Amino acid sequence: MSQASPLRLAPKVSLTIIAGFLGSGKTSLLNHLLTQSGGRKITALVNDFGALNIDSELIEAQHGNQVSLTNGCICCSIGDDLMRSLADIMRQDPLPDHLIIEASGVADPTRIAAYAAVDPQLRLDGIVTLVDAAAHALHAQDPYLADNYHKQIEAGHMLLLSKPDLVEDAQVEALEAALLASYPAKPQARVRHGHLPIEVVLGLRGDINLPPLGSQIKDHGLASWSAHLHGDIAREVLAEKIISLAPHVLRAKGILRDPQGAYAVHYAGGRIDFETLDITPSGHFVLIGKPELPPADTLSNLFQSTPA
Amino acid sequence: MSIIYQAKSIRTMDPHQPQATHIAVKDRKILAVGNADDIADWQAAWGPLELNTDFAQRTLLPGFIEGHAHMMEGLLWDYHYVGYYDREGPDGTIWPGLKSIDDVVAHLKQIQETRDDPSQPLIAWGFDPIYFEGRRMSAPDLDAVSGECAVAVLHASLHILNANNFIMDAADVKNADNSEYIRRDDSGKPTGEFLGQLGMYMAMRTTDLDLLAAASSPKTLQTFSQVARQTGVTTCTDLANPVPEGAEVAMRETVEKDSFPMRLVVAFQGNSLPPEESVARMQALQDKQSDKLRFSLVKFVADGSIQGFSARLKWPHYYNGAANGLWYIEPERLRDYLKAFTQAGFQCHVHTNGDECTEVTLDAIEDALRAHPWPDHRHTLQHCQMASRAHFKRMKTLGVGVNLFSNHLYYWGDEHRAITMGPERAGRLDDAGGCLEEGVPLAIHSDAPVTALAPLFTAWCAVNRVSSTGVALGGESEKISVEQALYAITMGAAYSLKMETEIGSLEVGKRADMVILGDDPVDVGALGLKDISVLGTMVDGHVHLNKGRDA
Repeated sequence: MSQASPLRLAPKVSLTIIAGFLGSGKTSLLNHLLTQSGGRKITALVNDFGALNIDSELIEAQHGNQVSLTNGCICCSIGDDLMRSLADIMRQDPLPDHLIIEASGVADPTRIAAYAAVDPQLRLDGIVTLVDAAAHALHAQDPYLADNYHKQIEAGHMLLLSKPDLVEDAQVEALEAALLASYPAKPQARVRHGHLPIEVVLGLRGDINLPPLGSQIKDHGLASWSAHLHGDIAREVLAEKIISLAPHVLRAKGILRDPQGAYAVHYAGGRIDFETLDITPSGHFVLIGKPELPPADTLSNLFQSTPA
Repeated sequence: MSIIYQAKSIRTMDPHQPQATHIAVKDRKILAVGNADDIADWQAAWGPLELNTDFAQRTLLPGFIEGHAHMMEGLLWDYHYVGYYDREGPDGTIWPGLKSIDDVVAHLKQIQETRDDPSQPLIAWGFDPIYFEGRRMSAPDLDAVSGECAVAVLHASLHILNANNFIMDAADVKNADNSEYIRRDDSGKPTGEFLGQLGMYMAMRTTDLDLLAAASSPKTLQTFSQVARQTGVTTCTDLANPVPEGAEVAMRETVEKDSFPMRLVVAFQGNSLPPEESVARMQALQDKQSDKLRFSLVKFVADGSIQGFSARLKWPHYYNGAANGLWYIEPERLRDYLKAFTQAGFQCHVHTNGDECTEVTLDAIEDALRAHPWPDHRHTLQHCQMASRAHFKRMKTLGVGVNLFSNHLYYWGDEHRAITMGPERAGRLDDAGGCLEEGVPLAIHSDAPVTALAPLFTAWCAVNRVSSTGVALGGESEKISVEQALYAITMGAAYSLKMETEIGSLEVGKRADMVILGDDPVDVGALGLKDISVLGTMVDGHVHLNKGRDA
């Protein structure tokens, strides 16, 4: 292996891909994320400005296919120009903290995710697939699109059921059970009008000092747990423990160490990712999950922690 | 000055007078067509006309019209051609086909050793591994070219790229959930082959080289027009172009010059903006047009390619069991766009490779026409390779035209028989015979740079229907005659661009666009079509002679 390229050492941009059919609520979700960015500098690559209806207080300026926001920017790329738009974004200085790509309704999200694999400055955080609870039956049997639909669900690290309020509760529960049966490790959450805590979709911020997680988490019927983990923690052991909590854990993040040094662990739905860091690790560790997460003392035993 | 050109034979594509020997040109247009006996009458009616006998031993046809090519053909000649087949460059140089991976490596090594700055990225294009049984190119192959600079080889499809380890190290290629877009060896190590646009992205990110920056620069346009001239094309399409603000002005400056040997028809990439804005952009482009530059078409890409397994096929899908392909636009969105552009009165060309995609697109067109009836919309299906007789009948009813990708029969015919379609369906691939019998307007194309721009070769493919190894695809009913093929690359294509009153045939009043050939294609017949030499063209009455040929 030759010398590390300068690109490789630069801070990484986290990439979240929002997948889902036309009308499944991708735009509403994105809208919500942009208005509650929590200090993150976000760039969003979207299909269509028109539908986004961006809060005018956030808009600083608009030039052609780009809207500058107080907390980031939105670029529009419909058609075949994703590669080009992505290259342009990754040439920006400074780079955003987080890049959100709204996939087209027929995109194969894994194809977009692959860009992160060949870009030393991009870190794939995860693929979030929206499942329209009201149209699921229709989409799953669409004569032309059903295969696409299942592929998108398959590709999602986390499944968000949108429009649960438009159908009977029993129907949503049946859908959740069916998805769980097909994908036992994929966590699910319901999302109404795009509202969901940003930590669930984009993860916890890079510099976590374990801020007390807002009441938001509880408002959405979710649970969280945070702690200090001490000493060396082998990455694969930690991975095993987190995965043992699937599908009840949506998100995990920690700034920890092993004998090789400090690392960050990011867990997004079914996807786990380790990032080598050059800092003194705080030992902070956070989980966000469903109410079915085990109680605090069980988690404490599992991770051998002390309270945060 | 008005000139009478004398030729050995003139094939006019005008049924009133299919053959002639003399053609008079005045003010960029055709003044008269006939033979030696007519000259005296012409002089009496029109005044003095100079007789030019430069082409007295040549055959003249209407200039060829390529209804589906891409300006990228002009860009790629900035890089190094490493394809399997011989290919003619813009200056008439024949680049010999490279018949093995070792040949490709040796060729690139030689370039690397002799170029001015060997630290710059080395980019090659046109590579096609399907002809190299078994072995695929890998990073060590290209490391042998150089380990000190980026070496990238773009495949003929433009959708695969091979990189050397210099690039992969710089990109720090990660595991990333074992993406199917990164080819790996049995041990899980990336081989250096990247699918989709991944490789191109990686090469751009690691080299600072913007591979596509020059896509519509004057130089690219010039090269594009030179390739066109070498192959007898006088009107060529760029299908499609997002035409960013201002690009129309830059293009016009180049195209307008009399020395520029080509008429350019740009198809606006319809989904580069939301429907309403897209229609508005198209409307704004209308008064930016000229005799030589048109913004008259809107293009959509609805699915992928058959050989890339990304075309949408009807059951039983791919012959080798591969999963059905990809939609490149939501069918619902395509319907919205077609409605908007039909209402606004713009002709749409839709890329549909697989038969399922063809059906969905016909549904969308029918929907648009119910909402906004338009007797002569002439929406056209591009590629449309797997259309059946039933599809052609429906196109006829709806007033839809077709532009078939006949070059596929030769380049990928064997693969379609053995792997993608199986023998029966491969037999109806690009069924020009069926299309004409059902009464659907027909054009045929190269999709350059995917295959070489050369209408006589495309005509040869549609007439003979044999693969590169000589295997026949289909039977007599799928073939067309030499005359029908010549019509398809002239009047057929002109009709598909709604330019049939201006170009496509040699008749009085039309633009003086011609191709100068070494032999008469009708006399040469089916087998020799592709070998007829193209000596030059005439565009708007201006003669452009080819490099590397005796006129």
